[in-house]
Amino acid sequence: MNFKNFVIEHKQALLVILVAIILSPLFALAADAVGYSEPLEKSAEHLGAEESPIYGGILPDYSVPGIDSPFGTFLAGLVGSIVTLIIMLGVTMAIKGRRN
Amino acid sequence: MHIPDGFLDMNIALVYYVLTAIVVGICIYKIKKDGINEKRVPIAGLVAAGIFAAQMLNWPIPGGTSAHFVGGAVAAIILGPFLGCIAMTSVVVIQALVFGDGGITTLGTNLFSMAIVDVFVAYYIYKFLSKKNTKIAAFVAGWIGITLGAINTGIATGLSSTFQYSINTTVPIMGIWHGALGIIEGLITVAVISYIEKNRSDILYISDEAQNKARGEKR
Repeated sequence: MNFKNFVIEHKQALLVILVAIILSPLFALAADAVGYSEPLEKSAEHLGAEESPIYGGILPDYSVPGIDSPFGTFLAGLVGSIVTLIIMLGVTMAIKGRRN
Repeated sequence: MHIPDGFLDMNIALVYYVLTAIVVGICIYKIKKDGINEKRVPIAGLVAAGIFAAQMLNWPIPGGTSAHFVGGAVAAIILGPFLGCIAMTSVVVIQALVFGDGGITTLGTNLFSMAIVDVFVAYYIYKFLSKKNTKIAAFVAGWIGITLGAINTGIATGLSSTFQYSINTTVPIMGIWHGALGIIEGLITVAVISYIEKNRSDILYISDEAQNKARGEKR
């Protein structure tokens, strides 16, 4: 499988992913504006459970340290999608076995 | 639904790590045994990357309690339960290791909710209901898959001391909220699956499986 063929054959799916990544900073801003909070956080708050973080990640909270929020979110999304694509392709190749 | 570090007692976290390792191990074994068609390799990568990107889109619901797309049903319907579980595993592991979304000690539990419960529940619901109507099947798969995944998160946290062992509080909070928000997951699932069904039905696991069965019988 070469890179060029992969892009040509799957341009539509790649485009959909790219659009999601481009939109992600807008969703992040909107989530901030409405005070985004998931049911798990509600549950924790209700029972007084507190996080004790031991590891922040390389790109903590989908942001790039030192880069302003919306562009940082976009970069984090781009990096994350590319890493996920490569890892999943690699894993699938490694375990795919032999068919037919 | 991504449990951070500190929320779970270590014994609970460990039990889920073991359960998750067993199921992921079985998935890898099944995939190796049955094999995957070469043309499905890029699709697996794209589904995982697409789910990662879609999970970044937090639904901004005014009033506070919200969620985001998880995608276990989409992974299960396109890739089947075993490869779907591996795709969700890749996404959730990358979220934890690269982005600090979900803890390290809690990773086994988060994988159990999103890569195992969500995926397998969604797959079997879809498989059962799609004989009647694939759209209803995709909707219910997305909706119930996510709700039961969330209930697992409620069970794990509710069995932990930080949540005062209040499983009778955590399970309803998770189940009811995600049950309501899961309708959106169901709608996104049905939109994605209907689109693929119309344009590229050959890439859906169930049609791939049927084709191979037919091919096998002819032989």
